Amino acid sequence: MSEHATPQDAFVPDLSVDLAPRNPRELVLKNPVIPASGCFGYGTEYGSFVDVERLGAFVSKGITPHPRSGNAMPRIAETPAGMLNAIGLQNPGLRGFIRKYPPIWERWDVPAIVNVSAESIEDFAHMARELDEVPGIAALEINISCPNINAGGFCFGWDADMSAEVTRAVRQATTLPVIVKLSPGALDIVSIAQAVEGAGADAVSLINTLVGMQIDVRRRWPVLANLTGGLSGPAVKPVAVRMVYQVAAAVNIPVIGLGGIATLGDALEFFMAGASAIEVGTAIFTDPTVLTRLVDDLAEWMSANGVPSLRELVGVANDRFTHPQGVPAADAFDLMVELGE
Amino acid sequence: MTTATPHIDTNPSPRGASRLFTGTITATMPIMGDSSLITFTAPQNLVAQARPGQFVSILCRGEGAYDPLLRRPISIYRADAEAGELTILVRPFGRGSSWLVAQPDGASLDVLGPLGNQFEVSPRSGNLLMVAGGVGAAPLLMLAEEAVQKGLSVTYLMGSATEAGLLPAAAFRGEIEYVVATDDGSRGHHGFVTDLIPEYLQWADQVFTCGPTPMFHSLRNVVLKHRMGKKPPVQLSVERTMACALGACLGCVVETKRGMVTSCVDGPVFDMDEVVWS
Repeated sequence: MSEHATPQDAFVPDLSVDLAPRNPRELVLKNPVIPASGCFGYGTEYGSFVDVERLGAFVSKGITPHPRSGNAMPRIAETPAGMLNAIGLQNPGLRGFIRKYPPIWERWDVPAIVNVSAESIEDFAHMARELDEVPGIAALEINISCPNINAGGFCFGWDADMSAEVTRAVRQATTLPVIVKLSPGALDIVSIAQAVEGAGADAVSLINTLVGMQIDVRRRWPVLANLTGGLSGPAVKPVAVRMVYQVAAAVNIPVIGLGGIATLGDALEFFMAGASAIEVGTAIFTDPTVLTRLVDDLAEWMSANGVPSLRELVGVANDRFTHPQGVPAADAFDLMVELGE
Repeated sequence: MTTATPHIDTNPSPRGASRLFTGTITATMPIMGDSSLITFTAPQNLVAQARPGQFVSILCRGEGAYDPLLRRPISIYRADAEAGELTILVRPFGRGSSWLVAQPDGASLDVLGPLGNQFEVSPRSGNLLMVAGGVGAAPLLMLAEEAVQKGLSVTYLMGSATEAGLLPAAAFRGEIEYVVATDDGSRGHHGFVTDLIPEYLQWADQVFTCGPTPMFHSLRNVVLKHRMGKKPPVQLSVERTMACALGACLGCVVETKRGMVTSCVDGPVFDMDEVVWS
């Protein structure tokens, strides 16, 4: 079912990607375009706009061990070329989720990735164990970076040891491919990426949203009921590209890039920085057809530019990318110091 | 290893075939002071499906621009299936709506819709009371015109700060009793539109309302004080900031006795007694 070149049409570009090369259960996508968690519901909401089977994969809304009703309103605020959200992980909980969605996904010819959030390492492991053998689920994306949940005021994803601990616990609880979603709030995202790679992650995805705030000057109070929210959209893209560039140079597992992708040009930046696949989030809200258009545009661009396989594009803008063992975190981190003065 | 296409029918919230289209503005008319009635072309099958209370979600920026980022949900004011046109009532309140009212005739609009649920008129109802505030007048006008066409009696109450902010009586097609209130007394009752409600509550079989949140609170207090039991029931159309408008992002929820539900798919019309009021 993978596309391959034929003599007559020398150029059907190969968009396929393996996001879990170290895992026997593998995670092979027919193309690298994936709707991001929280922006595509459970894959069913966009049914009349998007043929989900044309996507590389999709990531579900974040699931927690128990049902959550989410934050109070307002939950979203528009910002310059971006938006803040503080939904608060409204979801039916693990049991309700397993009953409702995987049976639908099982009939679809597209890998379904479940985004998993929890407030303790035990809960992360518990959820991974419960999801391990559920038909219809292809992989887990571990949300160590959701900035809206306060558990003792910390975030797993900001600390390399805690990030590794969560990853290790999940790794031991499931043989499913495990993607760890990294937080841009970490002081050194490269060291977090290396820590979760060492703890058994099959891939990393980055970046999650940046924590932000908007004040309603008439009410003299923050717009969001939660006070802070996650910033997404085109406004965050340069930050995301820089972090993907650094992380891709420092790890030997696939990197999934996301943060403000809306056009083919945006997607190409991420691939050239070192991403093997991309997730698209906020752009879906303003254009429900963006996902399949990106797939088509990418194939067309590769044909027109003589790129037979996506793999040849990954990391071409990244001179440290080819380093066989990755580079020490400190080296990759230099980049930020050099650029940021 | 091919498989069947996804069984979208098992979708817990199916929203019909593609409702994304490009409309062309055919007419713009000033109304209610600073607001505009904007009419644009739409596929006839979608116009024919449009129901009172539904909305469209419009991208309010030019091609290649990212600001303002999100689409704007706007209630449908009138649907003309024969002409293949939808009309919306827009007040230039923020950056998106200001962009929209500045578009010239002939301009293209990126439109998603019609979306959401609708006002439900019970088959047993003969007398309908509408209570409108500001641009909340739009979905109620569509509902009122449909109702009188079916032979129902409609009284349409509207409130505004001044006379300039009211719908002109000429806007209504059909036999609708139109009663107004202004904060400054420049037209009709001097005071709030909700002051007018008690005298109609015995008569009305159903109440429909759309307007600013403070008006809802005031209306609810008046209704709870004057009605008998749960009659007449009240349906209200809420306004929320939305991102996806398709039930995916959960950014526009309303707290109801059934839990947190989206105003874009489960709403925007809710039964007043189902909403949890804080």
